[in-house]
Amino acid sequence: MSSNQWEIGPIFRALMRNKVGAILIAIQIAVTMTIVVNSIFIILERATKIERESGIDEINSFYLTTTGFGSNFDPKSTATNDLELIRSTAGVLDAIQINAIPVSGGGWSMSFQTEPGEEKETEGAAIYMVDEHGINALDLEVIAGENFAAGDVRWRPAGVRDWPDNVIITKVLAESLFPDIGYQDVVGKTIYIQQNEPMIVKGIVDKIQAPWVGWDDLEHTVLTPEITEFESNRYYIRAQPGQRDAIMPIIEEALASSNKQRIIRGMRTVQETRERSYRADTAMIKILSTTMIILTIVTGLGIVGLASFSVNRRKKQIGTRRALGASQQAIVRYFMLENFLISTVGVLLGAVLTVGLNMLLVNIFSLNALDWYFVPAGMLVLWLVGQIAVFGPAKKAANIPPALATRTV
Amino acid sequence: MLTMTEVKKIFRTDLVETHALRDFNLQVDEGEFVAVTGPSGSGKTTFLNIAGLLETFEGGKYELDGQDVSRLNDKKRSQLRNEKIGFIFQSFNLIPDLNLFDNVDVPLRYRGFKGAERKKRIEESLELVGLANRMKHLPSQLSGGQQQRVAIARALAGNPRFLLADEPTGNLDSKMALSVLELLKQINDQGTTIVMVTHDQHLATQAKRNIYVRDGRVSELSELTDINEINLHQAANG
Repeated sequence: MSSNQWEIGPIFRALMRNKVGAILIAIQIAVTMTIVVNSIFIILERATKIERESGIDEINSFYLTTTGFGSNFDPKSTATNDLELIRSTAGVLDAIQINAIPVSGGGWSMSFQTEPGEEKETEGAAIYMVDEHGINALDLEVIAGENFAAGDVRWRPAGVRDWPDNVIITKVLAESLFPDIGYQDVVGKTIYIQQNEPMIVKGIVDKIQAPWVGWDDLEHTVLTPEITEFESNRYYIRAQPGQRDAIMPIIEEALASSNKQRIIRGMRTVQETRERSYRADTAMIKILSTTMIILTIVTGLGIVGLASFSVNRRKKQIGTRRALGASQQAIVRYFMLENFLISTVGVLLGAVLTVGLNMLLVNIFSLNALDWYFVPAGMLVLWLVGQIAVFGPAKKAANIPPALATRTV
Repeated sequence: MLTMTEVKKIFRTDLVETHALRDFNLQVDEGEFVAVTGPSGSGKTTFLNIAGLLETFEGGKYELDGQDVSRLNDKKRSQLRNEKIGFIFQSFNLIPDLNLFDNVDVPLRYRGFKGAERKKRIEESLELVGLANRMKHLPSQLSGGQQQRVAIARALAGNPRFLLADEPTGNLDSKMALSVLELLKQINDQGTTIVMVTHDQHLATQAKRNIYVRDGRVSELSELTDINEINLHQAANG
């Protein structure tokens, strides 16, 4: 095929004489591209957010809350007995009492600094109070320093405001607090909580997320060696692989039987907690995906409609073109090219609108700026949608017999 | 130039089978100007469609410029149509959204001519029909006669050896019709073979040879029974 057979000029000039339909489709393509590209960007961002690993063994873990009542309820002995009972239950890999659950949405946080005193630079971090079983129960890896010893763990009565002498922190927090040294060298360093209270970094763990999934410093996390003496406590249980669902009712029943002076509530898997925490993101992905698909289909159908109308309106003209020597391939090419020109106007306008909408979203909702390649990728997709949509009507046009040129009706 | 031997064309529906051409035999030599006449439904247009490679046929043989076209695929037929045949239609069949230049350009693009060559041919052919100064006009801005002249320019631009005209003056008044006919005669005088299908007895008499089609066959005078048909046949063939 010769390049002279590309009828870009005549097609463009003909379109200019019948602008309305083409302009409407171009606008539809532009709007679709704007929404689709920004939606895909938001969807990918949300998907990346959801896929972030919490650092703990989510699949095999669950937790529950016990709340004691009565004047003679003893939180200390209850916690000791409960942990002994849970850890000795068949199918349990390890268990701890913990003040908050990663990715659950609720927890404690404090500010930490490397120098004592007021008005020093601080880093916020989530706090998980755990005993020496914490590392194993949460499935963390100590990548520098060491785990808490049993002797490090203290009881924390309600109302106490001071903190233990040792902490384990995440690698990310170590690097944020001490950006000039390697995380391994942070072991043994003193950090300060509540401005002046020193804590020595005993170990560094690879990763554990804070409870708040929307938090920017999600991996700023501190483990403190404590067991709380509160009336309400939370137990985090890591089951042997595949045993979680089986042991959940067993643990619940065992705890309920062992101490009648408390209620057991909120037993939930970590997986379920993750799903709840990311429910808004998942819903957003579904809504945007549905909108995007519907919009793309509507645009595709709009193109099919316009092209079909155009074919029906120009049957005689197509027959004449065939009579003048156009092959079926040339007719298909004509309509594909016509759509390509309309789509080009649409995607160019769409590129401008896409960037504009993204800037608006960045300013109003503090979203990230669109990566540059989303725009050409969006253009390519909409071009492709247009070409796929027009192919059917174009094939139909190609099947119009050349003899139609001589028919008077 | 054009040889049809026992060509058959049958149109079929679920209920009816219509024999549009029955053992149709015709030879047109190079440089001839042949008028094809006959009553409505006689097979004139079917003959024109088959001659112009716009339709296929069931039986017989058709040679165009020495080439058997019976078994050509669509692409080859399109190519042959584009290279060897120029079409003039009753309704002009100009593309309303394209100006005269682009209209004449249509078959030249399918031919694959380069831009400069196309421009030269378009200008020459529009010059020939006296419309070179209106090449940026749209068909709707021209009279019927002028539109048919553009259609003739489009048919001639590719320099075809064979011009097929389907009722070329059917939509024109007598003055316009005469001018178009004169143009066709002029083109024929320059060596282009013309086959013209027409109802117009006067127009038919202007051709060098007249073919009368009835019931899908080329009819001889002895077969004619209707006095009008006889008159027409005699008038057409002197």
